Formats: sequence, C-alpha cells, structure tokens
Amino acid sequence: MGIGNKEEELKVLGTNIQGFAHACINLNIVAGSKAGSLIADIEATAWYPFERLRAIERTVLESYENAGPIMERVGMEMMGGWYNMGGGKEIIDKGVDFLRFQSGSQGYTSVVIGPEGQVGSFKLIELDEKNGKALIHSTTPFNKDLERGVIIGGMSAPGDLDYIDVNNDEDKYYFKIEFC
Amino acid sequence: MKLEELLESETLPSRTDLTEEDLARLVRKYRGLLKERERDRAFWAATNENLKIAYEKLDEKERELAKAYGIIQEDLSVASQIQAALLPKPLAKMEAELDLAVFHKQLSEVGGDYYDFFKTKSGSYAIGIFDISGHGVSAALVMTFLKAQFMLIMERLESAKEIVEGVNSISYGFLREVKKYATVNFVIFGQDKLRYTCGGGFGMLLHAKEPHFFAKKDHFLGLREKPFHEHELDFKKDDILVLYTDGMVEAQNDRGEDYSVSRLNQLIINNSEKQVEDILRVCLEDYRNFRSKDTDDITLIILRKKV
Repeated sequence: MGIGNKEEELKVLGTNIQGFAHACINLNIVAGSKAGSLIADIEATAWYPFERLRAIERTVLESYENAGPIMERVGMEMMGGWYNMGGGKEIIDKGVDFLRFQSGSQGYTSVVIGPEGQVGSFKLIELDEKNGKALIHSTTPFNKDLERGVIIGGMSAPGDLDYIDVNNDEDKYYFKIEFC
Repeated sequence: MKLEELLESETLPSRTDLTEEDLARLVRKYRGLLKERERDRAFWAATNENLKIAYEKLDEKERELAKAYGIIQEDLSVASQIQAALLPKPLAKMEAELDLAVFHKQLSEVGGDYYDFFKTKSGSYAIGIFDISGHGVSAALVMTFLKAQFMLIMERLESAKEIVEGVNSISYGFLREVKKYATVNFVIFGQDKLRYTCGGGFGMLLHAKEPHFFAKKDHFLGLREKPFHEHELDFKKDDILVLYTDGMVEAQNDRGEDYSVSRLNQLIINNSEKQVEDILRVCLEDYRNFRSKDTDDITLIILRKKV
C-alpha cells in the first residue's frame, strides 16, 4: 500500500502499538503520560484500527522538524524490545534470520491485517548472504524511516553482525541492505 | 583466542595474536561502528534541533503569558479601584452620633468581604457587613450585585428582618445559579436602640460594659428561602458595637491554632476604655503578631455611641 491509500479497514495488532509507544517512552521522545494514555486500553493480542498507531506516530512527527532519524531510532528500539522481551529470540538466532523472516511478508502480516490490495507487504526480494546484500520491498502504510529502523534493529538484536547498513535514499519503498 | 575475547581483554593484543580473519573482522566492526555513529549523530542532531525549537516555543509562550498576566493585573487593578470606590463613607448623622473605626483588607486585588452604610426610609442609618463565599473577581461581582439589591430594597422596606429577607428573596435564584452565598450582619440604629439581623458573621455589643454576642444566627444569604429574625438591644452613650467577618478569627498561627472569636472579643473588652481607633490598632497588632499569614479577606468595624 502506498502513501495516501485508505487505511480505514486496516487493523494492527495491539502488541505492535504497545511496542511503538514503549519505544517512544524509552527514548523520551514523547512524554510518558501522553503515550501511556494513548495505549491505556490496548491489549497485546487484540486487533485495532490502524489509526490508533497513526495517532501515536503523529505525536512524534508533529513534534520534530526532522523526524526521520527519530523514527529510525524508534524502529530500532521497537525491535530491541521485540527481540529481548517480545518473543523475538524464539524466532531468530542470527541477524540474517530477521531478513529470512520477511520472506513472503510473513513478519509483517503477523501484525497487520486488512483487505487484500490494501494491506500491502514488507517482503524480502533478494538475499545474497555470501556477499552480505539484501533487498526488501515495502508497500506497507508504515513510516519508511520507522521501517528502516525496524530492519536495523531486527538485524542488530542477536548481536552477531559486525556491520549493518540500510539505505532507502533512492527509493523509499526499497531498502538496500548491506551486512557482514 | 577469539576476536571477541581479545577485544574484551584488559591488555592490548599483540600483532601475532590477530589472524587475517580477525583483522578483516576488525575492519568490518570499525565500519559498523562508523555507521552506528552516523545514525547516532543524525538522531542527536534531530533531538537537539527539537530541543532548540521547544525552547523557542517555550520562550514565546512565556512572553505570551507575561503579556496576558500584565493585562489581567491591569484589569484587577482597575477592579480593585472600582471596588474601593464602592465602599461607603459614613453618613453625616452617623458621624454625629458614632465614633467609627474600620479595617478592611482584601486578600487579593479584589475580594468578597463587603461592608456598607445605608440610610433607611425613615431617616435612620444602618450598617451591613457581608462575607461572600470564595475570593477574587467572582466574589467581587456578587458584592456589587448585593449592594444594588440592598439599595433597591431599602427604598421600600424599613426593618432589618424585612430588608434582609427581601434581599435574600430577590437574590436567592441568582446566588444558587452562581453557587455563591454570603454571610450578613445587618444593624439598624434607632434612638438608644439597635435592631439587628444576623445570618452569619460576628457581632458583639458592649452595653454598659456588659458584652452581648450576636449569637442568634439565621442562615446565609442565598442558602435557604426561610424567614430571618430581628433582635433589639439597648444601645446607649459609650456603648461599643463590634462587627467582623471570619478573616481574622479563623487565621492560624504556626501551630495551627485559630486566632479565635473569644480572643478578639476579650481583647476588645479589655481595651474598651480606649478610643475606637486605638482599640482597632491594638486588635490588629495582636492579630499580626499571632497569625502566620493572612488567608482570607478581613473586615473589622468598631464603633462607639457618643451621644
């Protein structure tokens, strides 16, 4: 799903909203009381309109003149939380496993659901493990700086990679990944 | 030794400790760190920029607040002048028959304590002392409302009971609506007599040096729609009448003790031989030495019949 498409029918898993909000709180990006009130009634295993996530996202985007590096850091923090406290360790052993987990967009579709054609995808389309290169194509409604951080954070979390670079400067929907 | 162990070792590794692979990984780690530093720098630059903007916004808000505060202060200053101008000056007949000393202090620029001197239909004079619930502008607005009601009612009614009842009846709906009420002590002076109606507030008459306290209290203005009562007392030459609100007697010292009605009344009794201005001064000195701070509006009226 590209920018500007309808999101009314999309639903996001509560744990994703909580992860986003807690990352913001941990980084002191939004006031804890404000973010806390935004997720007060959120249950981890329930599904919520995507707008609930957007509301928290807006508090960050509206606060920062240059929100890109901030959203990237939020994505990294989210994945640190996911790996250490959210069951990520059971899914991936190595940094590259996080990339494999995105094959067929399975990682993304475990947290966002909606009508086909609207939900979009977050898909690993190339993986050259030997040369440490990969490419992910994203058509999700998520902020692309956040997604860049998600990839960096997800790959960094196991701690086995010495070098990670994720770049979507040329086309924000394509993430070029280098790692070793 | 693995590269990780060499990196965590307290001593620096020698060249021979490092394999070709170790050196290659060191380069990769170094580049990884450079990438991390790049991301960190971008994050902190954005954070600092945000802080700068936040401080600028804070400055702007502070300026706006200072401006708004200035306007409010100016308005309050004007309101204070208006309220002071609404306070009465003694009527000629009062000055001829009474020695009068008044202390009136609002806690803030404007307040809810109010006293007034009135001329009755038959040519007598009267004193009313009121304490409107709350402080500040809302209480001051109610004060002006009550003043107007008393002036209107006194054009057609004569007795203290009727006047207070009439004002209560007219004001009841309004006072309930704005969630306010007011104590009232209303005294009409006659030939060697006074008649009073007391709906809260404090009063003491020293007649022939014997104290009589305004204890038979009715309800506050605006609290109920019930009748008030009127009481008559002798009031002759050299008798002293004291009327006051709760501001002084409910003020506390550092130990949390009230200044108290009994302390004030006794002080007045002990000093009743003095001029009324001197009695007032003694009371204020004693009060100021006692209380830790003012917490309410204060009104104290002391008068002596001189003819």
